[in-house]
This record gives sequence, structure tokens and C-alpha cells, in this order.
Amino acid sequence: MKRIMIDREKCDGCLNCTIACISAHQEGSNFYTADLTGKTADSRNKIYFKEKEGYFPIFCRHCDEPECVMSCMSGALSKDSISGLVNYDADKCGSCLMCVMNCPYGVMKPDQTNTKMIKCDFCQDLTEGPSCVKACPKEAITVQEV
Amino acid sequence: MNSNFSCKTCQSADQSLENFISGLSVETSHHRVEGQSVKCGFGLQGICCRLCSNGPCRITPNGQKGICGATADTIVARNFLRAVAAGSGCYIHVIENTALMLKKTAQTKGLLKGKNTLKKLADIFGIQETDQYLCAEKVADAVLSDLYKPDYVKMELVEKLAYAPRYKRWMELDILPGGAKSEVFAGVVKTSTNLNSDPVNMYLNCLKLGISTGLYGLTLTNLLNDVLLGEPAIRLAPVGLRVINPDYINIMITGHQHSIFTYLQERLTDKDVIEKAQKAGAKGFKLVGCTCVGQDLQLRGQHYQEVFDGHAGNNFTSEAILATGGIDAVLSEFNCTLPGIEPICDELLIKQICLDDVAKKANAELKPFVFEKREEQVEEILDAITESYINRRSKVEINLQPEHGNNDTLTGVSETSLKDFLGGSWKPLIDLIVSGDIKGIAGVVGCSSLTAGGHDVLTVDLVKELISKDILVLSAGCSSGGLENVGLMSPSAASLAGPKLRAICEKLKIPPVLNFGPCLAIGRLELVATELAESLGIDIPQLPLVLSAPQWLEEQALADGAFGLALGLPLHLGLPPFVTGSSLAVEVFTENMKELTGGQLIIDDNAKQAADTLEGIILAKRQGLNI
Amino acid sequence: MKILVIGASAAGISAIKSMREMDQDAQITMISKEKNIHSRCMLHHCLSGHRSQESIDFAGSNFCADQSVNWLKGVAVAGIDPQKKMVMLEDGQKLTFDKLLIATGAAYFIPPVPGLREAKNVFGFRDLADVKKIDALLKADSRVVIIGSGLVGMDVASALNERGIKNTVVEMMPNILPMQLDQPSARVYQTLFEKNGSDFLLSEKVVELKLDENKIGTSLMLESGKSLEADLVIVAAGVRPQTDFLEGSGIVCDRGIVVDDKMQTSQPDIYAAGDVTGLSGIWPNAMKQGRVAAQNILGQAVSYEDRYAIKNTINFYGCPTLSLGKISPDEDTKVCLQEDRNTYQKILIKNQMIEGLILQGNLDHVGFWQELIKNKVVVDEDTVFDIKYSDFYAVNEKNGSFEVAI
Repeated sequence: MKRIMIDREKCDGCLNCTIACISAHQEGSNFYTADLTGKTADSRNKIYFKEKEGYFPIFCRHCDEPECVMSCMSGALSKDSISGLVNYDADKCGSCLMCVMNCPYGVMKPDQTNTKMIKCDFCQDLTEGPSCVKACPKEAITVQEV
Repeated sequence: MNSNFSCKTCQSADQSLENFISGLSVETSHHRVEGQSVKCGFGLQGICCRLCSNGPCRITPNGQKGICGATADTIVARNFLRAVAAGSGCYIHVIENTALMLKKTAQTKGLLKGKNTLKKLADIFGIQETDQYLCAEKVADAVLSDLYKPDYVKMELVEKLAYAPRYKRWMELDILPGGAKSEVFAGVVKTSTNLNSDPVNMYLNCLKLGISTGLYGLTLTNLLNDVLLGEPAIRLAPVGLRVINPDYINIMITGHQHSIFTYLQERLTDKDVIEKAQKAGAKGFKLVGCTCVGQDLQLRGQHYQEVFDGHAGNNFTSEAILATGGIDAVLSEFNCTLPGIEPICDELLIKQICLDDVAKKANAELKPFVFEKREEQVEEILDAITESYINRRSKVEINLQPEHGNNDTLTGVSETSLKDFLGGSWKPLIDLIVSGDIKGIAGVVGCSSLTAGGHDVLTVDLVKELISKDILVLSAGCSSGGLENVGLMSPSAASLAGPKLRAICEKLKIPPVLNFGPCLAIGRLELVATELAESLGIDIPQLPLVLSAPQWLEEQALADGAFGLALGLPLHLGLPPFVTGSSLAVEVFTENMKELTGGQLIIDDNAKQAADTLEGIILAKRQGLNI
Repeated sequence: MKILVIGASAAGISAIKSMREMDQDAQITMISKEKNIHSRCMLHHCLSGHRSQESIDFAGSNFCADQSVNWLKGVAVAGIDPQKKMVMLEDGQKLTFDKLLIATGAAYFIPPVPGLREAKNVFGFRDLADVKKIDALLKADSRVVIIGSGLVGMDVASALNERGIKNTVVEMMPNILPMQLDQPSARVYQTLFEKNGSDFLLSEKVVELKLDENKIGTSLMLESGKSLEADLVIVAAGVRPQTDFLEGSGIVCDRGIVVDDKMQTSQPDIYAAGDVTGLSGIWPNAMKQGRVAAQNILGQAVSYEDRYAIKNTINFYGCPTLSLGKISPDEDTKVCLQEDRNTYQKILIKNQMIEGLILQGNLDHVGFWQELIKNKVVVDEDTVFDIKYSDFYAVNEKNGSFEVAI
């Protein structure tokens, strides 16, 4: 399967991946028009910073044994046996937040209304692949076959 | 292995230029686009603030205000006003030097080539002086005295230069500028750390800077240059890389201050100077036009036919011009002198001399122009250039592009030469507009950039769309450089126009896109607008006239744009000026401006769509005039 | 290989999906009392009318076809004979197996309070059949009493509030959701529920349900002496593993079916997973137990190790909460508190290790916390609220997966 590989030494914390993710999930939005303060300003990735250690880019791993799928009681989360991606079907979601609780890496989070989950979809509808990867000026994140 | 620097270069509206650049063994801006293709989203939206050590602060879902409490609206407004102030400063620098040059030339009873313009200025300023030198000095002094006023003293020439209804509106909005240099200072202060946080106040300040920039930096620079260097005269001229003649010692000029070259231009035709070149093995010296100062020279080319070969290209063509190997020296005095020319000059042994330290290039010789020492400075410059010629010609490969460009670009268009061409009155043009043969006028101005599709791409595409709709295009700035090189300023381009505009162009043997020259000449377009409004007895916002800076590049362009909005004109930009992170900014520019000045901003990087929008505005204005 | 799976909920479905990943050929039969696969945790969405019966099918509508499963639905198991490797159904059918998985889950429990067990209008809330029964009796002006303010009780209350049906929750403890919340965090929900229509009687116990001549309960007598009129009573007082049918089978039970760490029962080739084991009562653990059982059934020696089960999330009226571990402090427990207008966070630390926590209001990126409890990570009470996954960040260089570096 394909995975977004992370080289955290290269990350400068510019948060372009964050804007790219928000924009990619707002209908008709681009880098100029992405709404970064409204109710849909949710990023699927997260960059942490630690003094002296630098940046820690957190991107969904689409795990081999996904804890989020294991904890999903609605069937909204499922691992695609062909692509290996962990997909989320918002219509099925029961908003129980068990996936948020069980992701050992704290990647998952609820949306701002706590009704749907913010989950990486690998930008599967875009031919050029994940928007975050495209937006990284440092190639700190790259798509690789694993 | 081929010697191409990299196969990946950006697109250009000028296909043969694109091919030439992609085959080069030196790096140009066109090669660097790819490496900079990933843009910072916060920068694009204008929501990054570096005004204090708490920063940089960026507006994010987890940080909706800067640490100081500044909102996206405040941060965007501060960044924008800073940019407009800087842009204004650039043009004010140019008019200051130009006025000083006129003053000193008058004091030393030097050559004043534009007597009509001098008289026109004296009339506008209310100067009654029969002696041309005293008159010119008084004109220059009037300008300088305004420039040097403090910001709390209003400039006196504004009322004399501005169209009365506009002046009235500006007074109502309290945006009449004080001394132009001080206004730049005030704009910088206002936007510093924890000072002004009121976006509307700052946008009104931008309009104020737009007025001082437009009337002084643009309009007056043109007119003072006309006095010094001669008035534009309409003619056909060669353009493009083809203008480089390797038999001569070739000097490429870049910048915006034509008057700095006044003495040099005169000297190049002198016998002793020609002999100097001949001794070195060349036929003489030639100036090769590049960027806006090249456009200025082209505009007044009638007066300099012996020393001026023609305009080779605009800002992002400059590296390619040098890469032909046919240029022996670069004389630069202002922007758009790209840092990217430095390594090319090193590699091709091209001498670089900067005549104004504001544009000092890292590896160039600095020789700031001093009026009193102009004679010896020019000798030193010519010696250095001759030495460069002798040193480099045997060592450097020459890769000329004789097919590039064309020989029949119509140049020399100004508010005066165009009116003269029409028989001394705007009536013929107004009649054509009223009859609908010309639907309206679009001033397509500004720079070229390597975004919005690539070099000159949006500019050329938009202009093609506009002329096909019978909209007459007037151009000024680096946009003209692109438009002329692709042939849109040649009479044969009439075939690309809509049927009505085409018929007029063919009858008059003119192209549908008229070349007013440098970006400074945006001031001339605005004179045309003013004079048209005056003839019709209406205010400027009522005219079926729109502005577009499809590929605006720099801070100066933003100050120009602020003038366009102050005049009440619809202004189209291809890409947003780093303000979209603020919904208030978008609202002010695209909607509220209609109430404030009559102007409005339109952002669209799609040529067809933008042309449709502009056409719609023109049609609405026509309807407003019942035509 | 012939595999029988009894039960069609989290553990059973998870086991079948896992088995199919590993073995395309095994002959799998699933037996269930329920006629529909559905998520028990979403029943309240059906009661509220937000969801249809089909839309709470967590397995996917084509589950049986996709997984090549033979499903015997609507039939209960009568008994198991481990020696003959045979399952006897109540309809008389007898099925043999090579491997058997018991995933029958749990059933609700009605406390031995006079009147409750006999009344015709007292219900549990465990499967779709319960929802249908309740729905059939509900009227716009019904007065509903919910006994127990655990997650199930509050789910029911929220569903009734959505339908505008008056309901009163009776809870023995001084605050609602007592297994997951402390007083302040419970108060937040209580206020939200009250705003939306629920009434609460806390520290109160039901001592009797008065019945009319038709065995319809009419009013509840409380320990305090108060009484409460009711048209409908819903009991949400806990569940018990469903093991009745194992009597005499020789499969050892102690509250639930006793299993080893391979999820195998006391009898060879018979496995159990999910609530029926009594190991935990939450969905993720049932899913994982099902998967481990499946792996062992197919011969992979995998142990059930991630046994941590004291965890839950709550999400009502836009306010989310995560509750982990022990939430009531002992004498030597250090209680760390952090509050603002939107969030309430409480972390209990004992011997420098986190024992439990309540995070309310904002659940962004909180998944790593249970790893710290499970793995007994030493923390500093002064900086405990600053902890993030990045403090334990590790990436497997080969495949890029994350790890928790402890």
C-alpha cells in the first residue's frame, strides 16, 4: 500500500500541509480562498513543536491493524483490502468518538460540531495524490509504497 | 549531454522565447519557477505577521488572532498598506530624481526637447514665465516643493492636476495627500507594531498613497521626462531579441529613470565616441531597451534613432536578452533589475554598472549619477564598457535570435500623440465609442509575472479576448513588452479584433492594442481617461473604461492600483494581492469601493471569464450613459 | 474446515471478517437470535427516528455474500455438546463443527425489585426488538421513567428528548454517568439534558413498581418515599453475559465464559469472545477479542494482550468527553485539574503514573492517553497537561508506521 512517509528533520513547521488539507476538504476552495477560521477549518494533519527537538508532523498512517476501525461501532471506518487505506463514511458515522479515543497516536479528532470525524482520506478523489504532500515545500512528506 | 540548464521552464505567451529559454545553459527566472511552485498559504492570504518578536504569527484554526490580538483583517490591512507605502516610495523616488534632473538641466541651460509639454505644465501649474529655463526650473521647483512637504501640509498641485469631480470626492473622503515622501513615512509608521489596527482607516490611507503616487510618481514623471527627452511620436519600430546588432557595442538599460541617461544618449552620437567604438572593432555604441526604461526610450525613439536599436523585452525577458551573448554591458538605475542577471553577467563577462544605489546589484560597480560630474562619469562608463567589449567578444559564444519579435510594432503613443493622430481632438474616438464601433477601452497595464499561467500568458490571453469583443486596449508597463513581442501591437493584429474594431484598425493602419510605453505611462492612460471624461462632461467612474493589471508583480503595482481605485475605475487583477485571508479586505475592495470612489477590484486568473466580466462592466457603463 | 459462530454482533462479525482475510475456503456458519445485524450502540438513533434499522447495520448490507457466510437467523441455541462437537438449536437442528466461537454477548438485567420483572410495560434496551417494543407503546404524551443513568440510560433519554417525550431518570448515585464521570463533568451533561427535556432524581432508589390488574406498571415507589407516575419504564441497570444455554456443556463459566489468552474456553476447539466472556463491555475490545479468537481458530498463536477496558467516550448535545481508568481518587492520589469556559480536564496521578482521567469539551488528538495508562508511563504532575503524542513520537523507518515510544 501507499503511505505518506515522514522525514521530520526536513519539516520547518510552515503548516502548508495544514492549509492544503483544509482547502482540499472545502468545496471549491484554493490556497487563496481556504477558510482557516470557520466551522470547516479542520486539518487532518497536525504539526507539533518541541523546543530543541523541532517539529513533529503527524499524519494518519492508515495502519496495518487500525485501532480506529476496530473501535468503530457503526461501520463508518473500514480498511480497504485493495488500497490498504482506512476509509471513513461520514453518513454511517454514529458520532460515538470511540475512534478518537482509540487511535494510539492521537491522529483522529472530531469536527468542530463533534458530529463527524476528521479523518485523512488520502485525497483519493484527486489524481495527483494527497494535497498535503503536494504542498510541502521541503519534501518532508512523500508518498511511498510500503 | 546537452548544455541546457534544465528542461523545466515555465510557460510563456511568447513561444519562441520559451523555446529559447528552455534551451539555455544559464539559469533564468523561468527555470526557478518549478522550484518555487509550492507557495506558503499564509503568505498568499496575507495572514502572516512578522512585526514583532512574538511572531511570526499566522492565522490558523488553532490561532485565530495574533498574540497581540490582531485579527486576520488587521494583519492583512497592515501588510497591504506597508506594501502600498513601499510601492509609492519607489515611484516618488523616480519623480524626485526626474524633477531634480529637470531643475539642474534648466539651471545649466541644458537641452529641453519638449517645449509643448513645458508650456502645458506651466499652464496647469499657473506659472507665467517666458524664459524656458526659468520656466522649467519653476515647474521642477513646484513639484519638488510638494514632494518635500510634511504629511500634515496638503500638496498644492493635486487640485491643479486632478479632475475636479475626483478632487471633490477625495476631499470628502479626507484622502488628499500631504507631502508625498512624508506620506510614505506615515504609511510605514501606521503599520508598525501595535499602532493602527483599523483596517478601513488603513485602506483609505492606501487610496491617499495612490493619489500621490499616481499624480506625481506616474503622471508628472512622464511629463517632466517629455520636457527633458522629447515628446513621444507615433512610428513603427522593431522589437524583440532581433534588435540586438552584434556589430555594435551593446548596452542594455534597465530601470525606470529615463532622465539619468539624458547626457549619455546625446554623447553616443558624438564623433569621438563613435571612434572609440570603432577603435575597439565595433561600428559604434547602441542602447538595447529592456524593462520600462527601455519602453521609455522606445516611446521617444523618434529622437534617438541612431543610438537606439529597439526594445528587446520586459522584466522577465532580461535574462534571456543577456543570454544571447550580444550584450556587452548593463546600465541599471532602478527596478526591474533582477538579481538573476548577476550570475549570467559573471558567466558571459558582461559589465554591470549601477547608476543609483537603490538598485545596486551585488556584483556590479556602483557609480551613482551626479549631475555635476555627468560628463566625466559618462566617459568612465564608456571606457569601462569598451573594455568589456574587447575582453569578452572573443571569449563568449553569441546566440542571437534574429527571428524573435517583429519590425512593425506601433510605438510612441501618448495622450498628446494619440490626440494629434485623431486630428487634435478626442471627438473621433468618442464618436466611435458612442456608435459602438469601439465598445469601450481597457487599460491593460502592469508587469509580467511568471505566475498566472506563465510569462505574459494571462496578459496576452486577456488582451486577445478583449479585442475580440471590440474593446480597444491601451497598454503601459512590462505588459507592453510582452504584447509587442507577440505581435499584438503590429497593425496586422487587427485581424484578431472583433469585426468593428478590426475595420477601424485596418482603416487607420493601427493595431487594436496601443503601446503607451513604460508603467509610468499608466499616468498617461489616466490622463486620457480624464480628458475623455472632461470632453463628455462626466466623472471618470462613468466612462466605459476598465483597468487590468493581469500580471501585477510588485509593490509599485499595488500603489498604481490604489490610484486606479481612487480614480474610480474598475481594476482587474489576475491574482489577489495577498488579502484574501481577510473577508473585510475582500468586501472593501470588491464591494464597498463602489460606494467610496466608484472603483472596484475584480480578481480572476481566467482570461475568458475576466474578459466577460470586464465587458459586462463596460456594457453597464454604456447603459448608464444611454449609449 | 467447518466453523460455527454463535452471535452476530461486534465479536462475531469481527471474527468472521478476520477469518475471511486469512482463509477463503473455511465453511463458516453464523447463528443468531437477531434477524438483523445491527450496532447495539446505535439503537438510540433508531428510537429517536434519526436512523433506519438498515442504517445501523455496521457489517455492511452484503456482509453474508461478501464473506461467504451461511447465516441461520432468528434462531437461538439450545445447547452445546463439546464431545460430539455439536450445537443444538431450539428449532431442533443439530450442527457439527470443527471449531466453534461463542459470541452471544450479554443480556440486560432487571433488578429484583417488586413489580419490575412482572410488568408488561418495563423494557430493557439491548437490541432492535426492544426498540420496536418501546416504539410501539410510545405516545407523544407518554411519561417515561428510565432507571439508571449509565450510557444506555442516557442514550435512551437523549432519544426521547429528540422526540419531545417527557422522561425522568432515576439514579442511585449522586451524579449521572457515575461510572465515567465525576460531579462537575456530570453536572455539565445533566444541565444539557434538563434543557432538552429530561428530569433527574439522583441518589434515589426504586423500591417498587405498582401494577394495575393487567400487570401494567403505573407508579414507581422510591426509597425516599416519593412516587413517580409512569406509562413506560426502561431499565438500564446493567447487563449479564448470555450463558444459560451452556448449562451442562462442561464449558466453565464464572460470571462469563472463562477463556485463556488465546480466547479458548475450557473445552478444546471452542472459543469465546465479546461481552459473553465478561472481560469487558465495550465495542473495541469485543472487536479485538473476535479477531484474536479468529486468528487462533485458524491456527495462528496470537494472544489477547490489549485488555485495557476501563475507557469510554460520551457525546451528547455537542459536548464530548473521554473517560479513562479510575476516576475517583484515593487518599494518596494527586488530582490535577485544568478548566476553562469550554473544557474540563482532570487527571489522577498515583505513584507518578496516571490512574485515570476525564477530558471534557475538546477531544482533539486525545487517543494517546490510554497508552500512557496501559503502559504505566511515569509523568510529572506539573506538566501532565502538556503531554502530547509527540512526546512519544517514533516512526518505523521501514514502513513508516507510528509507534508509541515509551
